[in-house]
Amino acid sequence: MNAFFDLLLGGVFHAAVLFLVAAGLQLVFGVQKIVNLACGSFYALGAYFGVTAVKWAIAAGAAPYLFLPVLIVAGIAIGSIIGPPIEALLRTVYRRDEAFQLLLTFALVLMFQDALRFFFGANPQQLGDTAMVYGTLSAGSVLVPTYNALVIIASVAIAFGLGAFLQRTRFGRILRATAENREMSEAMGVNVRRVYATVFTLGTILGTVGGALVVPTAAASLDMPVELVVEAFAVVVIGGLGSMRGALIGALIVGIMRALAIRYYAELEMLAIYVVVIAVLIARPAGLFGKPVE
Amino acid sequence: MRVAAIIAALVALAVLPRVVSPYFVTLMLPAFAYGIALLGFNLLFGYTGLLSFGHALFVAIGAYSAAVMTAKLGVKSFELIVLGAAFAAVLVAIPVGLLSVRYVRIFFGILTLAFGMLFHSFLFKFYDITGGDTGLRVLRPLLLGFAFQDLDKTAFLVGPFYYYCLALLALLGFVMWRIVGSPFGLHLMAIRENRRKAEYLGVRARLFCLLAFAISAFYCAVGGVMLAIGIGQADPELAYWTHSGELVFMTVLGGFANFFGPLIGAFSYIFLKSQLMSITEYWRFVMGVILVLIVVLFPRGLVGVAQTAWARIKRS
Amino acid sequence: MQRSRRKILKAVGGAGAMLAAQPYLSFPAIAQAGPLRIGIIAPKSGIAGTIGECGLRGCQFAVERINAGGGIAGRKIELIVEEETNPKDSIERLRKLVLQDKVDCVQGIISSGVSLAMGPAAEEMKALTIFWDGTTQDGVKETMPNPHYVFRSTDNECEAVMASLLVVKHWKGQFKTVAGINPDYSYGRNNFAAFQALLKKFGVQHEVVAEQWPKVGTTDLTSHVAALKAAKPDLVFSSLLFADLPIFMRTAHGAGLMDGRTKFAFPAAGFQHTALKKSFTPEGMIFGHNTLYFDLPNASALQKQFVQEYESKYKDYPHWEADRAYFAMQVYKAGVEAAYKAKNAWPSQDDVIGAMEGVKIDSLGGPGQMRKDHIADQTFYQGITTHNNRYDFPTLGQIDTMYSDQLQKPPGADFWKWIETAQIKL
Repeated sequence: MNAFFDLLLGGVFHAAVLFLVAAGLQLVFGVQKIVNLACGSFYALGAYFGVTAVKWAIAAGAAPYLFLPVLIVAGIAIGSIIGPPIEALLRTVYRRDEAFQLLLTFALVLMFQDALRFFFGANPQQLGDTAMVYGTLSAGSVLVPTYNALVIIASVAIAFGLGAFLQRTRFGRILRATAENREMSEAMGVNVRRVYATVFTLGTILGTVGGALVVPTAAASLDMPVELVVEAFAVVVIGGLGSMRGALIGALIVGIMRALAIRYYAELEMLAIYVVVIAVLIARPAGLFGKPVE
Repeated sequence: MRVAAIIAALVALAVLPRVVSPYFVTLMLPAFAYGIALLGFNLLFGYTGLLSFGHALFVAIGAYSAAVMTAKLGVKSFELIVLGAAFAAVLVAIPVGLLSVRYVRIFFGILTLAFGMLFHSFLFKFYDITGGDTGLRVLRPLLLGFAFQDLDKTAFLVGPFYYYCLALLALLGFVMWRIVGSPFGLHLMAIRENRRKAEYLGVRARLFCLLAFAISAFYCAVGGVMLAIGIGQADPELAYWTHSGELVFMTVLGGFANFFGPLIGAFSYIFLKSQLMSITEYWRFVMGVILVLIVVLFPRGLVGVAQTAWARIKRS
Repeated sequence: MQRSRRKILKAVGGAGAMLAAQPYLSFPAIAQAGPLRIGIIAPKSGIAGTIGECGLRGCQFAVERINAGGGIAGRKIELIVEEETNPKDSIERLRKLVLQDKVDCVQGIISSGVSLAMGPAAEEMKALTIFWDGTTQDGVKETMPNPHYVFRSTDNECEAVMASLLVVKHWKGQFKTVAGINPDYSYGRNNFAAFQALLKKFGVQHEVVAEQWPKVGTTDLTSHVAALKAAKPDLVFSSLLFADLPIFMRTAHGAGLMDGRTKFAFPAAGFQHTALKKSFTPEGMIFGHNTLYFDLPNASALQKQFVQEYESKYKDYPHWEADRAYFAMQVYKAGVEAAYKAKNAWPSQDDVIGAMEGVKIDSLGGPGQMRKDHIADQTFYQGITTHNNRYDFPTLGQIDTMYSDQLQKPPGADFWKWIETAQIKL
C-alpha cells in the first residue's frame, strides 16, 4: 500500500508541473488559436531564472526557507518580462495561416536554445539541497519531501484560481467571449489586442512558474525545451485543445500513466503515453474535453 | 524556356564536382537527399495545405530500412534498397495517414508530431532491434550492380553516388511535376483552398489527402536512404521532432508556394547551416532569427524574394 | 518568368561555387613550417555540453603547455574547434575539418552513437582521429574491427567492471537483492549487463528485483525512485552520469533510500562529483572517478598544477574528460615526435600512426599508453565516499587504483567472452 502511495504521489507531482505548462498552452490556444511550441522554452527559462534568483537571494542573506516564494516571484517576473515582447512578435502573424504561427514559435525554440546557453552556460543548473530545508512529510513508510507536497498544493491552488478567474471575474468572461468569437467581442467594444497580450503573458507566466517550481527537485538543463514539448502536447491532445479541465485531467492521466509504466513495465514509459494519445484520438478525436473542430 | 533553365541547372550541378572542392561536393549529397524529401513534403504542405510536424519519421524509416537491408539482410543493390525503404514508408504512412487526415490544420500538426516522437521512442527503446541510441550501420550499396571497389568512400560519394543521386533527383522531380500538374494535383489544391467546398464538389478529400500523405512518405524515405548512405549510420535523432521542424524550415526558406522552392530551400539551408556552424557556436539562434524574418517578412521564401526582385527589375 | 528566376539563382550559385572552390584550387603551402592544425569535435550543448566543456579545457591546458614548450617537434598547435551534435551533422563537421581545413589530426567525440558513426567515416577518409570517449561494446566489432586511422579511448565499460569488482571485494555476502537504475542507452545497458556478468563470475548469489531505464536527460525521477524503493533492494547499481545523477541522489535521499539499508555503486559518479552535495550524498558509496580523481593524495605535480589552475580559472574541479582530452593530445605529440626523430624529417601520417601504437605517456590522472590495437590503457580510480574533506561534496576516503589492462578486454578478444573466461583479480 505504501508503495502505491509513493507511486501515486510521484505521478501527481509530475502531473502538477505538467498541468501548469499545459494550462499555459491551453489558455493561449483557447483565446488566440496559437499552439506555442516554445512553451518548453518558457519552462526552461523559468527554471534557469529560478535557480539564479534563489542563488542570488541566498547570497544576499535571505533565509533558506524563503526560497519557495522567491521561485514563484522569479517565475512570475521573468514571465511578465518575456511575455509581452514575444506576443508583439506573434502579433505579426495573427491573421496568417496557422502554419506560420507554428513556424514562428518553432523559430523561438531555436533562438531560446542558444539564448539560454549564452546566458546560463552549458552546465545544468541545480539548487543542490535547498529544497530539503522544508524537510519531509512521513506517514508510515511513505516519505514525501514537503516541497513536493507544496508544489502539488500550489498547482491545485492555481488550477482553482484560474477556474475562478475564467468563470467568475469580468476579465475572465471577456476572455472566454473573445475565445468564442473574436469579431463579436471586438464589435462589443472589447480591446482584443489587450486581451491577447494579457492572455499570452499569463500563459507564459504559467510556463515559467512551472519551470521555477520544478527546478529544486530536478535541474535546469538545455534540453528541457524540446523534451517537455512532447509531454505537454500529449497532455493537451488527451485533454482536448483549449480546455482547462482537459489540461488538468490530461496532466493527471499522463503523470499517473508514466508512474505506472515506470513501476510495472519500465521499458514502455513514454510509449505508454503515446499509445494513450492515439487511443484517445481514435475514440474521441477532439480529446476528452475539447470541442470538435472542423 | 523553363525546360532550358532546368537543363542548365542540371548541367551546372553535373559539372560541379569538377570545379568545387570535395568537401562542398559532399555537402551537396544531403542537399539532394533533402531536396527529394522536401518535394514530397511540399506535396502535402504547399499543395494540400497540411502541415506535418512529424515527417522526419519517414526520413528515419528510409534511413533505417537502408541500414537493415545492407547490414542485416545483405541486400546491397541501391535500387532494391530504395524500393524497399519506400515500400516500408508507404506501409507506415497508410495507418498513420488514416488517423491523421481526419484532422485539419493544427491538429494534424500535433498528431503527426506525436507519431514522429512515437517512432523515435521506439527506435530508442527497442535497443536490440534498432541499436538504440547508437543506431545501425549503413553499408555502401551497389549502384546499378557496380561496386566501384577501387574507390574509397569519399571518392565514391563525390563520384558515382553523386551522379546517381542527381539523376534520381531529376527523375523524382519530373514525376512530382507530373503529379502536381495532374487532375490529382488540382484536387489537392482545391482541398487546400477550401476543404468543405471541394468535398461538396465531389472531391474525396480524405482519400486524396491520404494519397498525398503516402506519396510524401515515399519521397521522404528515398531522401532518408540517400542521407543514410552518405553518413554511414542511421540514428534515432533523425526521427526527433526538431528534425521535422527543420524540414518545414527548409521548405519555407525556399518558398512553399512554388514547385522549385523546396529544392532551393534544401540547398540553401544546408549551405547556410554549414557556414554558420563554422562561424559561430550560436548558429541555432541565427537560424531562428532567419526563420522569424522569413515568416514575418518573406513568407514566400527565397523564391518569393527573387520573384519580387525580378518584378521590380522588369518594371524599371 | 520561372526561367529568368532560375537563371539568376544559378548565376548566384555559380559565383558562390567559384568562391567556395578557392581552397581546393590553392597551391599546397609549404605545410611543414607552419602550425600543426588539429581539429577538435566536442559537444557544446545538450546533455553532454558541460562534459565537452571540461574536455575542451583539458585540451586547451595541454595545448598551452605544449606551445609554451615550443610545440610538437618545433611546430605550434592551432586548434579548430567544431561542435559535436548528432551523427549526421558531426560527420559533416568531420568532413569539413578533413577535406576543407585539411587538419593534421582530429580529436574529440564523447557520445557513443556519434563515435560509432564517426569511426568508419574517419577510416574511409584516412583521417588520423583520436576519440576522447564514446565507444561502448556493441557495434564496435562490426564498425571498427581493425582500425588503422582511428584511435579509441579505454572501453566505456571499464568503470563498470571496476565498480563491480569493488562491489564484490567490499560487499560480497552483504547483499542478496540487487536493483539497477541506468540511463537508457548502450552505455547504461552494457554497464548493467557487465555488472551482472561479473557478479555471476565471482559466484555472488543475487536476485535482480528492479531495473529502471530512465531516458537520458530525464529530470523527474520521483517515479523511478518510488519503484526502486518498492522493490527493497540491498544494493543499487547505477551508471547514471549526466544531470540525472544529482537529481536521482536528491530524490532518493528525499524518499528515504539513503538511510543506510541500501548500498550504492555509481561507476560514473565522477562526472557530476561537484553537484553531489554532502547533504544528500552519504558516505559509504562506491564512486567511480575514471581516469582522473582530482583530490588524489599522491597525485603527480602535473595533476596538482592542473587542478589548481582549473579551480582558480573556472571555480570548479575537473573530472576525467579533461584527462581524456589531455591524453589524446599527448599521445599525438609523442607519436609525432618519436616518428620525427626516427625519420629525421617530418613524418607522414602512417609514420605517426606507427609511432603512436604502443606509445607510453603521462596523462593528468596518471600513466597510460596506447595499445597496438588502437585502444588506450589508462589508470582508473574508484573508491568509497567520505565526508571528511574541505568541500561541500563527498570525495573518496578509501581509494582503489587499477590499471585498465585488468579492466578491459585484451586485443582481439570479445568483451563478454573475456569477462567469462579471464583471470580477473579483485
